[in-house]
Amino acid sequence: MSLIAKDAPGQQVLLMGNEAIARGAVEAGVKVCAAYPGNPSSEIIGSLAQVGEDLGIYVEWSVNEKVALEISAAASFAGLRGLTAMKQNGLNVASDFLLNLNLSGTKGGLVVVVCDDPSALSSSNEEDSRAYAKLGDLPLLEPSTFQEAKDMTKWAFELSEELGIPCMLRSVTRVSHARGNVKLGEIPKDVREPHFDTTHPIIPLPVAWTHRSLHDKLAKCRERFETSSFNIYQGPEKPELLVVTCGSSWLYVREAVHNLGLEDRVGVVKLGTTWPLPGDFLRRHLKRAARILFVEEVDPFLEENVKAFCAENGDELGMKTFLGKASGDMPDIGEMNPDIVTETLKRIFRVSYEPRPSEYAQNATQIALQHAPMRQLGFCAGCPHRATYWAVKNALAMDGRDGFVLGDIGCYTLGIAPAGFSQVKTFHAMGSGTGLANGFGQLERFGFHQPIIAVCGDSTFYHAAVPALINAQYNRADFLMLILDNSATSMTGFQPHPGTGRTAMGQEAPVVDIEGLCRALGAHVEAVDPFQVTETTHTIYRLLQKGKGLRVLVVRRECALVRGKREGKLFQVRVDQQRCIGIDCGCNRLCTRVFKCPGLVWDPETGKARVDEAICTGCGVCAEICPSSAIIKEVA
Amino acid sequence: MAENRGLQALEANVIQKDLCAFCGACLSLCPYLRSWGGRWVKLHDCDLAEGRCYAYCPRTELDLDAIHSGLLGGPYEDLAMGPFRRVVMAQCTDPQVRQRAQTGGVVSALMSLALDAGWIDAAVLTRRGEDQLPEGYLVRKREEVLICAGSSYVAAPTLEALNRGPWNGDERIGVVAIPCQVQALAKMRLSALERKTPIDRIALIVGLFCTWALTYRPFMEFVRIRVQGVPIQKMDITPPPERLLKVHTHGDVWNIPLDEIRSFIPPTCGVCLDMTSEWADLSVGTVEGMEGWNTVVVRTERGEELFERAEKEGLLEIRQLPEANFQHLRDASLLKKRRALKALQERGELATGYLKLSQEAVQRILEDGTEAES
Ligand SMILES: Cc1cc2nc3c(=O)[nH]c(=O)nc-3n(C[C@H](O)[C@H](O)[C@H](O)COP(=O)(O)OP(=O)(O)OC[C@H]3O[C@@H](n4cnc5c(N)ncnc54)[C@H](O)[C@@H]3O)c2cc1C
Repeated sequence: MSLIAKDAPGQQVLLMGNEAIARGAVEAGVKVCAAYPGNPSSEIIGSLAQVGEDLGIYVEWSVNEKVALEISAAASFAGLRGLTAMKQNGLNVASDFLLNLNLSGTKGGLVVVVCDDPSALSSSNEEDSRAYAKLGDLPLLEPSTFQEAKDMTKWAFELSEELGIPCMLRSVTRVSHARGNVKLGEIPKDVREPHFDTTHPIIPLPVAWTHRSLHDKLAKCRERFETSSFNIYQGPEKPELLVVTCGSSWLYVREAVHNLGLEDRVGVVKLGTTWPLPGDFLRRHLKRAARILFVEEVDPFLEENVKAFCAENGDELGMKTFLGKASGDMPDIGEMNPDIVTETLKRIFRVSYEPRPSEYAQNATQIALQHAPMRQLGFCAGCPHRATYWAVKNALAMDGRDGFVLGDIGCYTLGIAPAGFSQVKTFHAMGSGTGLANGFGQLERFGFHQPIIAVCGDSTFYHAAVPALINAQYNRADFLMLILDNSATSMTGFQPHPGTGRTAMGQEAPVVDIEGLCRALGAHVEAVDPFQVTETTHTIYRLLQKGKGLRVLVVRRECALVRGKREGKLFQVRVDQQRCIGIDCGCNRLCTRVFKCPGLVWDPETGKARVDEAICTGCGVCAEICPSSAIIKEVA
Repeated sequence: MAENRGLQALEANVIQKDLCAFCGACLSLCPYLRSWGGRWVKLHDCDLAEGRCYAYCPRTELDLDAIHSGLLGGPYEDLAMGPFRRVVMAQCTDPQVRQRAQTGGVVSALMSLALDAGWIDAAVLTRRGEDQLPEGYLVRKREEVLICAGSSYVAAPTLEALNRGPWNGDERIGVVAIPCQVQALAKMRLSALERKTPIDRIALIVGLFCTWALTYRPFMEFVRIRVQGVPIQKMDITPPPERLLKVHTHGDVWNIPLDEIRSFIPPTCGVCLDMTSEWADLSVGTVEGMEGWNTVVVRTERGEELFERAEKEGLLEIRQLPEANFQHLRDASLLKKRRALKALQERGELATGYLKLSQEAVQRILEDGTEAES
């Protein structure tokens, strides 16, 4: 049984941050959990889905974050506890509902977990989602440790239920994806009967009243925060410098202070409840020093709010010197780490500290570069997207009108890179490729003649492309839409979606038919297998010539990793060393220089290509592109 | 780094300068270059230092002395219309062939005979496909020759069919080509690069006269608008004094003055030095003012043999070409050369070493009329 369902109060277990959050929800007696996958948040719902059946929790992968939040809110409206989890971008999608839900209020505890991705390690941006808590007047909690991740989640439900508003919990990649010890609490056995009180509509109107009430709730929340054990001060009575920090930055600060031996000179205020600010708590500690350093990821959220707080309390707190992002003492983009904090403290205190020889980092990089193979952002061996972009590239070249691809969010975003032959020229939010195509598709009246291809994955199609497609049909936008259906939400870990015939909890589900849906819109719809490269190329070319209106081509081939997990290779592939002409005129390494599947390797010694058996997934596409018919595929 | 003589140079020196004749010599030699919809299409970049695409292109380098001495021995001397044995006029005796053919059906008759008599096993011809798009077409039987009868006045990538095959590996091959293609074939035959296409099995080249060939896409767009989108069945160009493009649609004929389509003549035709397919075995064109008769320039021994045999078998009726017509042909051919040299001069291409021809010969061509009168 999964650790997050382990009924062993008091026991210490090793949990990933996201599992700790899931466990916190379990200990809070959550009943409904819904989300759309997005790193670094995906494991929260992923791990809950595994135990949902046993613990009597309903868990689903929803089509998008807004719907997911609405589902958990419905549980709350019926008096149950609900949770939704998302990445930072997801909150933008859910925000329309969230910024009405704050006014209408909730019943059962409702927790919105947002996992931010400072430095955008697996994202298109590094937005700081905390701004939404302030924008929506919602309580915000930020765990620093794995224990806190669990305990805060549990508390967030209680807080939400007490205040009657959703509670936000903000994690970051290094909390969500690292592992640490967590002491388990009890799993409640109480049973609630869901019921919606029809005498009390849940609506955001009248705003004059609901907004007032929201502020009152926030004031009450502040009172709770004043005494929260998640806010602590560590350091001397009168430090020379006071560091105000939160989240994983707290750990970096502790490490830096310890390494520099500044324990007697630096005081650290660690806030776990970052909105609304616990004023009394802060006032007590801000008095300790005149110099204040802020360490946080990514935006100066605490920095600006605490500065405003100091201004309001100027009489009592006196003049302060603020060091942080605004002063240039801390970087104003990206992740924090112990080195960054150490460097700043060294500068402030004029102390020297050399944890390792100065040339260590350079040497390490050099050695690493010698031994690590050069790798670009790439598609896996046998990935259908490579074949698709190959066909797109050829079709656009054949067409010759300088056509281009509007991209979207998913594995296929890598179409921007050489792996996808750099075919993708824009990508932004989920479904935006299709939306932009709607716009480009109206420009012909101004003399715009470049053909437009929008791409989106199957999961993205359900998430955000459908409204844009309806718009295209309605307003007669001219473009070709490629739906790259690899039958999985591959980028985030193969979560099922409405097209896979399976639910989060492993039950069979009806398949929402992409072609049928598009046909119902009135679009011209066709489907191809990208592994039939020539046919796909010619179909794309033909559809590009087909002048007007919305054309949809479903390019369907299961993700190579999903298939690989289930079954072996489709083909046994090898390179006939006699026939391979390698670098000669007539080929010039088409397979390893241009097509670049990692399953094919160039052997400079023999001057021939060969197949890397360990990597090749046997899709056989390279056999179709080899000009010398030297790549042989035999049914495996 | 040594000077690039591959795709990069081809792009820089020919494609980007808008000098591609779209002859097809560089296409389908490799996975990188293809013809599509009447266009030269590069599918991927190639960084090879030396490639056949560059070597075979009639617009990369043209060394007329080297071609002459390589193919026939001796220097290039007949500056007006290249090496030849005799020039006559002829007509196919089969009225059915004449009816399908562009002029007098000599080309179709010769290719049919060559296939029939086993001179060649296959021929690379040019067929008008869907939407009048011309493409190289491989035939192996005499009956198939007539499929390709008639001229397409659009530049066709005929030689791509030679490169692409499929070939069994032992056929002897005949080609019908316009002058840029005949030049490319000459460069192929003399190229030192490894042969991967059946260049050495080319057993017959019948060249056509040509002053220009149109660019497919813009020309077709123009015609389609002129005929108001009605499906086109056939197009003809009538000789002077009429000088019309006749577009046949279902039941209708639309007459478009030739002057209106001149803007679709690509710049590359303006720098072409060859009107009469000088490196063919036989060159065939029209006889000005005599409908249904071909001018035939017999150039090589094997050309002569085939031509004689066609006469002997009664497939062709051959007559003396009137002196005035012969003079006119020389003048026209020389005029094309002179214009091309001037165009090359203006474009600065003479300085780049595109044309390798003695300064003296260049002067002789440029000096208006001297050669034509001699
Ligand atoms: C683009 C072009 C321009 C021409 N310009 C002139 C000119 O200025 N003066 C002149 O006297 N004659 C010109 N001709 C030649 C003329 O049109 C006839 O092809 C020639 O008289 C032979 O006639 P025929 O009846 O023997 O040919 P047919 O028996 O009808 O055979 C014609 C042959 O031409 C080939 N062909 C057709 N179109 C093309 C093409 N676009 N490229 C390559 N091969 C093709 C076919 O394979 C076919 O075998 C031109 C031909 C072309 C294709």
